[in-house]
Amino acid sequence: MLICRYHHILFIHCNEGSLSRSQCFVSGRMRPLRDAQLGAFTFFASALPHDVCGSNGLPLTPNSIKILGRFQILKTITHPRLCQYVDISRGKHERLIVVAEHFESSLRDFQKQGKTASPEKVLQIAFEVLEGLEFMNKHGMVHRALSAHNVLMDCKGNVKLAKFGLYHMTDHGADVDFPIGYPSYLAPEVIAQGSFHPSDPSHDEAPLPSGPKTDVWSLGVLLFELCAGRRLLQNIDISERLKFILTLGCMDDIVTVLAEEHGCLDTIKELPENVLELLRKCLTFLPSKRPTPAELLRDPVFSEVSCLYTPFQKPVSLFSSSLRCAHLELPEDISDLCKDDDEDYLSERAIDEVYHLWCLAGGDLEKELTIKEIIQSKPPICTLPNFVLEDGESFGQGRDRSFLLDDTTVTLSLCQLRNRLKDVAGEAYYPLLEDEQSSLPQSNSSNELSATVTLPLIIRERDTEYQLIRIILFDRLLKAYPYKKNLVWKEARVDIPPLVRGLAWAALLGIEGDIQAKYETIDKDTPIPTDRQIEVDIPRCHQYDELLSSPQGHIKFRRVLKAWVVSHPDLVYWQGLDSLCAPFLYLNFNNEALAYACMSAFIPKYLYNFFLKDNSHVIQEYLTVFSQMISFHDPELSNHLNEIGFIPDLYAIPWFLTMFTHVFPLHKIFHLWDTLLLGNSSFPFCIGVAILQQLRDRLLANGFNECILLFSDLPEIDIERCVRESINLFCWTPKSATYRQHAQPPKVAGDNGFGKTTTYYSSDYQDMPKTDLSREPLALCDLKAEVSPRISAEDLIDLCELSLTGPTKRTKAGKPKIVAVDIRSQEDFSRGHISGSINIPFSAAFSPDGELVQCPATGILQNYRGRVIVVISHAMKSAAMFAAHMVKVNFPRVCILDGGINKLKPTGILTVPSPQI
Amino acid sequence: MKKNKGKPGSTAEKEFVFEFRAGKHNCVLKVPLKFPVQENISDLHGRLMLLHKIPCYIENELKTSLSNFIENETILDFDREAELALQRLTTGDVDVNQLTNAWTRSYVETTLEHARPEEPSWDEDFADVYHELIHSPASDTLLNLEHNYFVSISELISERDMEIKKLQERQAAEMDKVMHELGNTLSDQDVNTVASQHFDAQQVLENKWASELKQVTGIQKQEYQEWVIKLHQDLQKSNNSSKINEEIKVQPNQLSELADSGARMFEEQPQLEESFTIHLGAQLKTMHNLRLVRADVLDFCKHRRHGSSGAKLRRLQTALSLYSSSLCGLVLLVDNRVNSYSGIKRDFATVAKECTDFHFPCLEEQLEEVQQVVLYARAQRSSKQKDQPEIPRNGGDDKSKNVERNPSNILPGEFYISRHSNLSEVHVVFHLCVDDNVRSGNITARDPAIMGLRNILKVCCTHDITTVTVPLLLVHDMSEEMTIPWCLKRAELVFKCVKGFMMEMASWDGGISRTVQFLVPKSISEEMFYQLSNMLPQIFRVSSTLTLTSKH
Repeated sequence: MLICRYHHILFIHCNEGSLSRSQCFVSGRMRPLRDAQLGAFTFFASALPHDVCGSNGLPLTPNSIKILGRFQILKTITHPRLCQYVDISRGKHERLIVVAEHFESSLRDFQKQGKTASPEKVLQIAFEVLEGLEFMNKHGMVHRALSAHNVLMDCKGNVKLAKFGLYHMTDHGADVDFPIGYPSYLAPEVIAQGSFHPSDPSHDEAPLPSGPKTDVWSLGVLLFELCAGRRLLQNIDISERLKFILTLGCMDDIVTVLAEEHGCLDTIKELPENVLELLRKCLTFLPSKRPTPAELLRDPVFSEVSCLYTPFQKPVSLFSSSLRCAHLELPEDISDLCKDDDEDYLSERAIDEVYHLWCLAGGDLEKELTIKEIIQSKPPICTLPNFVLEDGESFGQGRDRSFLLDDTTVTLSLCQLRNRLKDVAGEAYYPLLEDEQSSLPQSNSSNELSATVTLPLIIRERDTEYQLIRIILFDRLLKAYPYKKNLVWKEARVDIPPLVRGLAWAALLGIEGDIQAKYETIDKDTPIPTDRQIEVDIPRCHQYDELLSSPQGHIKFRRVLKAWVVSHPDLVYWQGLDSLCAPFLYLNFNNEALAYACMSAFIPKYLYNFFLKDNSHVIQEYLTVFSQMISFHDPELSNHLNEIGFIPDLYAIPWFLTMFTHVFPLHKIFHLWDTLLLGNSSFPFCIGVAILQQLRDRLLANGFNECILLFSDLPEIDIERCVRESINLFCWTPKSATYRQHAQPPKVAGDNGFGKTTTYYSSDYQDMPKTDLSREPLALCDLKAEVSPRISAEDLIDLCELSLTGPTKRTKAGKPKIVAVDIRSQEDFSRGHISGSINIPFSAAFSPDGELVQCPATGILQNYRGRVIVVISHAMKSAAMFAAHMVKVNFPRVCILDGGINKLKPTGILTVPSPQI
Repeated sequence: MKKNKGKPGSTAEKEFVFEFRAGKHNCVLKVPLKFPVQENISDLHGRLMLLHKIPCYIENELKTSLSNFIENETILDFDREAELALQRLTTGDVDVNQLTNAWTRSYVETTLEHARPEEPSWDEDFADVYHELIHSPASDTLLNLEHNYFVSISELISERDMEIKKLQERQAAEMDKVMHELGNTLSDQDVNTVASQHFDAQQVLENKWASELKQVTGIQKQEYQEWVIKLHQDLQKSNNSSKINEEIKVQPNQLSELADSGARMFEEQPQLEESFTIHLGAQLKTMHNLRLVRADVLDFCKHRRHGSSGAKLRRLQTALSLYSSSLCGLVLLVDNRVNSYSGIKRDFATVAKECTDFHFPCLEEQLEEVQQVVLYARAQRSSKQKDQPEIPRNGGDDKSKNVERNPSNILPGEFYISRHSNLSEVHVVFHLCVDDNVRSGNITARDPAIMGLRNILKVCCTHDITTVTVPLLLVHDMSEEMTIPWCLKRAELVFKCVKGFMMEMASWDGGISRTVQFLVPKSISEEMFYQLSNMLPQIFRVSSTLTLTSKH
């Protein structure tokens, strides 16, 4: 803990000097854009054979979705020699568009000039390419598509490998029709293993995956071309080219043979010995004799070059045991960092952020590619088949040329985005976090921004400037997590930018520590009895989503779920856990450990003991409190539902067991949970009531059967309205009204980390210190018998602002208005009561048949309609009956004082009125 | 160490050995590992630590040595497989030429860089030009011109009909006379001769007209296309297109006024129609539009003459979307022969000929092409079945016999597709083959006709057909046996199946909003229609009407 504090102190220092631009704070996020561009290229996944089912009887996953799932991991492969992958999107008809870091210049430029590269340059390029390859290999990937135009150069002339993930994401080329790699650069063993072509019936099996050494051969060819100043085997057709490569196996000295063939023996002979040696090593025919990239990198041929490079170190992630700022070095003169004034601030933002903003500013990938004529689509009417058999196989459809691969990368212009952001002041990019009052930057546009805050969430999420400011703010807050936890909470109440939602939720759930190590120690492989159920549930969970329906998504689902089941031996897997896992997995697709950690933190907070093997007592109590909440907030609806026997047990179990993830699509869950995570464990009740209220008219108009039908396929719910209304309901609910004896027991005090100030609404009732005035547990059958909730004496005192210390207590805004109704007889009332309470004896208010009697007292009651009405009596039974009568005649917000008047007697707050004359 | 014959997925087990000292003990950890290693190394490491209770001070050591072991062994495997493949070449197990040819083929067929250069396709160029023009101010001119051509064709057709009618009348009179004389001066044989003469005369006349029509359409089509190309060029040349437009507009407008004077051939039929909005999907919902229409199937094809403004708008709408990605399709139920000689097929052909198709080959040519493709498909199928005789298909024997009898006939559930630019509301017609089975009451969701519907919807997904019209009862005309219970049962089946297919479609195309029109024959009663329109919301769970009222 001490260490943690220390490094946050350091962080504050950095802030003051606007120093946090320093790279060492990049925590698991992508690199800044800097001088790079965004590039996009497109290709088609192969179409599935018509009408084939998988082994589980479900339809096969389209290849484009498989690729999309496999692509995700590439976003985490960050290395200075590799072009950062940013995003992939699926278009119509299995089209995929990949967005990645891009540079305009490549080794192809060298070739076009027709000059030879200097030996030093060759060595530099070779070394840098190998650095990239080694890093990929460490992550189990092979490039396979190395060629001159895929080795890009940044403006400093350093190598950036492009398209390095194509072989990985297409499952070694199995999911696409085109071969991966370029004919001249293919290694002999790759050629020998054959090409797989779907229309070719003689090859039923895909060729074996290639190893890392195939790239070394391709690199050899590439370097040879650089040395020779011409392209290899350019003028002969493909099959001759491939045959030539295969015949090289019989040659002793491949480099010389190639040089002779291309008439550049002299140029090659003149090369320094280490370059020649490098070429020979790369162009070794037999794979077993050829070095791997890692071996070659440590080879003496690079002895002059290697000392110029420092090995790459992965930036430390937010959740790790090592120090995030350990390697921070401040320059002697801090002002050095603030020199460049007219800096391009946008390009200092991470690549994925820039891309996200580019999309918000109206960027459209398909349009960009269509303009450059990479996407050429024929009108669909021209490509219709003539004839279709009963099993769906179609005939008479010519091969469409627009489906051919054109892997040219198109640069995405940032002009529109820059133009959009030209008015954003420089300070906005580096907000100071010290000022707790206002976190929005004080610039010209701040007025505009504060106006934006009032707009609907959907609009805010599409507003480029607003998102820029919010992302920057959250990015900085999260980098300072857990020190800036309070500010994260504060800002999350405004909204959470979608781009950082995963980490923001983790912060709200209080995730800390080395979660990766913890996750790795959990055994996710050994079969357990739950496996079968998990296997059945996963292919049915949020499968409309591309990520979650991909095979990679399924694998990750399985691992996270198993990890949770294995690490919680006292709990079991209930159907619904899969849905609960879905949002976390979606947001942290590349970080299973974080998904697991979030889920493990979420469940005890909101679903304590819901996953017990015998969870009936927990759920029964929960549902009973829920039905009390319905009658508290909407007595008319409650009366109707009870009348037709449509009780929460019939519909609400999946709501609460999955915290609504089973009933809503992901994008709605995100907005719902953004608020849910800020509230306490009783907030879900309010969401439930808000959903019912949205369907109120239909429920009231229908009987049991229609209601069951209605809820079996829940109609569209306006989620923003639902959130707004549930917050309103929450504010009207006294905290103790949702007391549950099976709720999570209070946490041990003092583990509150960095002093998170708990507010009235975010803290749980259970977390409050327990006193005599708190609520006492109630047997389930007694609880079920009462229509209205009980509230504690504590709450009553707090809400009526009755306090022994006098009414000095600061009134909190948004506190519900309350009125206490004393139903004891007049004599009892005059002997002592709460000040401000009104006396309506039971017998005076209701006739024997439960109708409200017209009398002055009930008139007063009518005037207080809409306030929270607390019924106080001697015996709980009569109070409960009084409350039930009131609900019957549609009085909202009725509750009962737990323990009755006797609870209050020891407090000494009862007053005796001076006799009135 | 076992090894298979170099097949992908071949696994070999290797043993990882790790030695370490714990206190005074020398411990050896042996782990059998399956190669290629599929699982995550960190997970494996974590599990080993847990399972064997390995002391934490050697945690990192174990991890490095484990990952090194796996890395090295994997490289060895790669090398071995690679060299095996090279060896197969030198030993001649694999033919070099075949191998390199396969590579060449896959490059040539899949990549633009190596593909053969595209021969310019006139059709597609015309499509582009037309699409551009119809979305420009010139669209009005285009439509007017098309309409003029239509008028001249229909004049020809009415002339033909008149002449044929005259001939028939004359022949009838003659025949009457002959019949009158039958038994007196003339024998049966004479009557037969006269009849065959009549028939021949009719044939000659019809042929004459047919060839004339064909010629006129050919000329029209050519003129039209040339004109469109020229207009496009002119527009491109001059920037002030408005001026030219004015010039072009004048002439056709005069003509169209002329056309207006032509009698309205088709009176607006009193159609019954009801629309619904539905949301499909469990969590993520997609909105679709459904419509229940009582009309004749050919009403969607027939042109109404200019004059009623709705007709012109409809015409414009169809023209605008012809080369777009929101096409309209229609399902036509046909028998098992690909031609246009009888029944609904002939009626459809008649409608299709009423107006020249300026974009696609005429129906006859399209059908000829389909016949070729059907034969090709049968040949493909039978050669494939010979390759894999072990797959028994239920009812397959029965069907194959049928096919052997006449390979050019199609089977129930199969369909062919024709494309049209000259129909009023439809671009694509699916000719779905059904047999007499659909008239019986007991078809199931597994019926070929239903499977055909599913495939049609699938083609709609892959080819951007966003509106499709389906005969709800799977018949175009009502007959005696189609009682009220029969209708209700059939409608329920089709509704339910289409709903299922539409939900399935969401996974094919990612949830695009569509319009499905259910068509019922004109001859069903109004009462029946409303019964069906009550059934639809129950099956599709229509929500919109109620949500509207729930807002305050």
